[in-house]
Amino acid sequence: MTTFWDIVHLLTGTPLIPVAIMGLTWGILGGALPGISASITMALVLPFTYTMDPAMAIALLACVYIGAEYGGSIPAILIRTPGTNSSAATVIDGYELNRQGRAGEALGISLMSGVVGSLFGLAMLVLLTEPLSWLALAFTPPSYFGLGILGLSVIASMTGGSLVKGLAAAVIGLMIATVGTDPISGVTRFTFDVPDLLNGVEPVLVMVGLFALTELMSQSGSVSLTQLKESVRIRLPGLAMMNRLKRSQIIGCILGLFEGLTPGGGGSIAAFMSYNEARRWSKTPEKFGKGSEEGVAAPEAANNTVASTALIPLLSFGIPSSNSTAVLLGGLLMHGLLPGPRLFEQNPQVIDSLYVGSFVAIIAQIGVGMLLLPAAVWLVNRPRPYRAGFIFALILSGIYTLNTSTFDLGIALALGVVGYLMRRTGFPFLPMILGVVLGHMVESSYRRSLVLSGGDMMVFLQDPICVGLLLAATGFVVFSLTRELRDGRRARAEQARNHKTHGQEAHG
Amino acid sequence: MNFKADLTRRTGLALLLAGALAGSGLLAGRAAAEPAPYPVKVVTLVTHSSPGGGSDVFLRELSKYLGKYIDATFVVENVQGGSGAKAVARVAGAPADGSVFYATTPTYIYTSLLSKPPKTYKDLEPLANIFADSEVVFTRADGPYKTLQDVVDKAKKERGKWGAANPASLERQAAEQLKRAAGVNAAIVTHEGGGDMMLNVLNGTLDIGVGEFQELRSQIEAGKIRVLATFNPERLPEKPDVPTVKEAGYDVQLVKFRGLAGPKGLPDAVTKTWDAAIQKVLQDPDYRKEYTEEVLVAKFIDHKDYPAFVNSFATTTEAFLKETGAIK
Repeated sequence: MTTFWDIVHLLTGTPLIPVAIMGLTWGILGGALPGISASITMALVLPFTYTMDPAMAIALLACVYIGAEYGGSIPAILIRTPGTNSSAATVIDGYELNRQGRAGEALGISLMSGVVGSLFGLAMLVLLTEPLSWLALAFTPPSYFGLGILGLSVIASMTGGSLVKGLAAAVIGLMIATVGTDPISGVTRFTFDVPDLLNGVEPVLVMVGLFALTELMSQSGSVSLTQLKESVRIRLPGLAMMNRLKRSQIIGCILGLFEGLTPGGGGSIAAFMSYNEARRWSKTPEKFGKGSEEGVAAPEAANNTVASTALIPLLSFGIPSSNSTAVLLGGLLMHGLLPGPRLFEQNPQVIDSLYVGSFVAIIAQIGVGMLLLPAAVWLVNRPRPYRAGFIFALILSGIYTLNTSTFDLGIALALGVVGYLMRRTGFPFLPMILGVVLGHMVESSYRRSLVLSGGDMMVFLQDPICVGLLLAATGFVVFSLTRELRDGRRARAEQARNHKTHGQEAHG
Repeated sequence: MNFKADLTRRTGLALLLAGALAGSGLLAGRAAAEPAPYPVKVVTLVTHSSPGGGSDVFLRELSKYLGKYIDATFVVENVQGGSGAKAVARVAGAPADGSVFYATTPTYIYTSLLSKPPKTYKDLEPLANIFADSEVVFTRADGPYKTLQDVVDKAKKERGKWGAANPASLERQAAEQLKRAAGVNAAIVTHEGGGDMMLNVLNGTLDIGVGEFQELRSQIEAGKIRVLATFNPERLPEKPDVPTVKEAGYDVQLVKFRGLAGPKGLPDAVTKTWDAAIQKVLQDPDYRKEYTEEVLVAKFIDHKDYPAFVNSFATTTEAFLKETGAIK
């Protein structure tokens, strides 16, 4: 049993505090570089942990993860480029706030919501790791199918005004997800004998292409130079603001908890779902997409929660639910530590330093986050041609480091052009990205379920988790569509009334 | 997504290897024997795996000890992408003077057959084999199956549910061959990596899984899973009570090989030096201790016999892929 003195010893007798802060700093910087995901940031530091004490090494990696989840939101807000996959949802309202000259405020909200999410996630990690580890096991292939469909149902409310265009974008995303090796039979699909396509099109390329490159192209085409005020500085939200954000942060925390627990969920799905739920439960849903503070708070709370809760299936079963936790698993194994119930009995000092180190990193995040932000804000304030050139180089080098593949660069650039055309013709990006991210999971779990059942569709109705998730998805689509229809009718009625009064005036 | 699963799986194995190696490997002293003379000063060992991946760790550890037996400096180069197609092309186009080699695994055969890249395994000259990974059949510890026979009996009565980590993999091939050898009805469910499959074995969705021993170690030690049999030709030194699949009555064997291949037309002096050096390095006490801990089985095949081994592996694989409809 860990005593109070064990914790005091960890803080004073070991280099845990500097290790946690180093990990955090590296994580924020790595996460802030577009194209360098949380997992890459962790992988880059992994070789340096070879010679470290195992307890310190694991704490360091966990702190890098925490830092990267926050760092990813910096470019999301400042340059409309998610630094990590899971900060893609933050782009929507974060960048909008930035355009309104409220970048400092958005960054402050992101930071504090991240801290709230991280603290909640850590508390859940400490409390639930052992008791809740059964949840990871309860997920069968049909359950994953339900989870994927629930994720896709979010599209219904992300169509940005035109249901047809939204669905079309989603279908294109799903089509992109079919490229590569068939997940069940191993047949190659749409690869045209190009070896680079064997592993499919990675979602990160689609995100970078659509978000970042499209933005750069649009910027270079626009005439007006919207310079940020030089005085932009991080502004932490006050008590009143925190109170207003409470609801969206709670939503983010809860969804982050569930997504972290279910392997395959991951930060990006949690972020998008919580964005959506926050809008639904918000008192001011109309502000979403136009610079809502809650629209930043919810996804940031969610992805930071995942950074801790994703460790639950990892530590209890050794099952990595994402690339980032896979790297952490690597770190554990490298030091001869085998995750699972026995880790808690045999190496309690590793678990303790992981928990305490994470706590130190979360608290330090407020200070370190504020210290590092001016550098990021300074970057945004450079003249646009320089900045665009720099970002372009950064994005392309980031993509290149993924697989050291020039082919990937071509894919990202092509998607940039596609994104530019989509934007000019009013097609929303998010359904397409969700299609790419979830298409593979939906397809493979659907087909795996049918292989298991011998082609019997009843398998989906026999799995209680799947039934629950599918019902939730149905309810969600119906809710979103009725709202859209109602809003549309109201808008038309409004228009008609305006027309009428206008007409009377003309007569009078 | 495939990439992710693959990464997860590979990193797991790789870092497992790295773990033990990092501890003791660095301290290994130099042997008294003089290293054999070699025509080039720097030898580049190419792998398709990412830094820290399975073959990467294999090469980096091997290169630490090779210097004792071959008078050259060894450098590992990661040529990622295309599931090995790029790395094969890189080595096929290199000069055949013993300066560049590729770390072979079944992956390069699968990629050659599935995606038909411009340069395939046929464009490389197999040099020698070094190791075989251990592949096993496992089930959950609290499940109803105590032996491989129980699993087969269940699949005879009703439909069996067997798992394999990846669709185009040696594990799936093994499961399909076992199914045929036993003459039973079983759904072979493919996954995206070993972790994914482990869940479905633990929660009872699957009767058994086929996977690499290295990936299962933590669950075995925690008493969560039971190893029923190994596809290796011989019993595992670490689990002497586990029978081979062949002993259990089904004539199926697997060799998940790890070796080296070079450009075509390697000089005799080079291949002879390697034949001798690999045999010596496998006997090196420090190296031996490390790879035994990782359940890697030393499986030396010399330059004379290795091409035939690789070709016969490729023929079997091609037949399997045609049968499953993966290629025409």
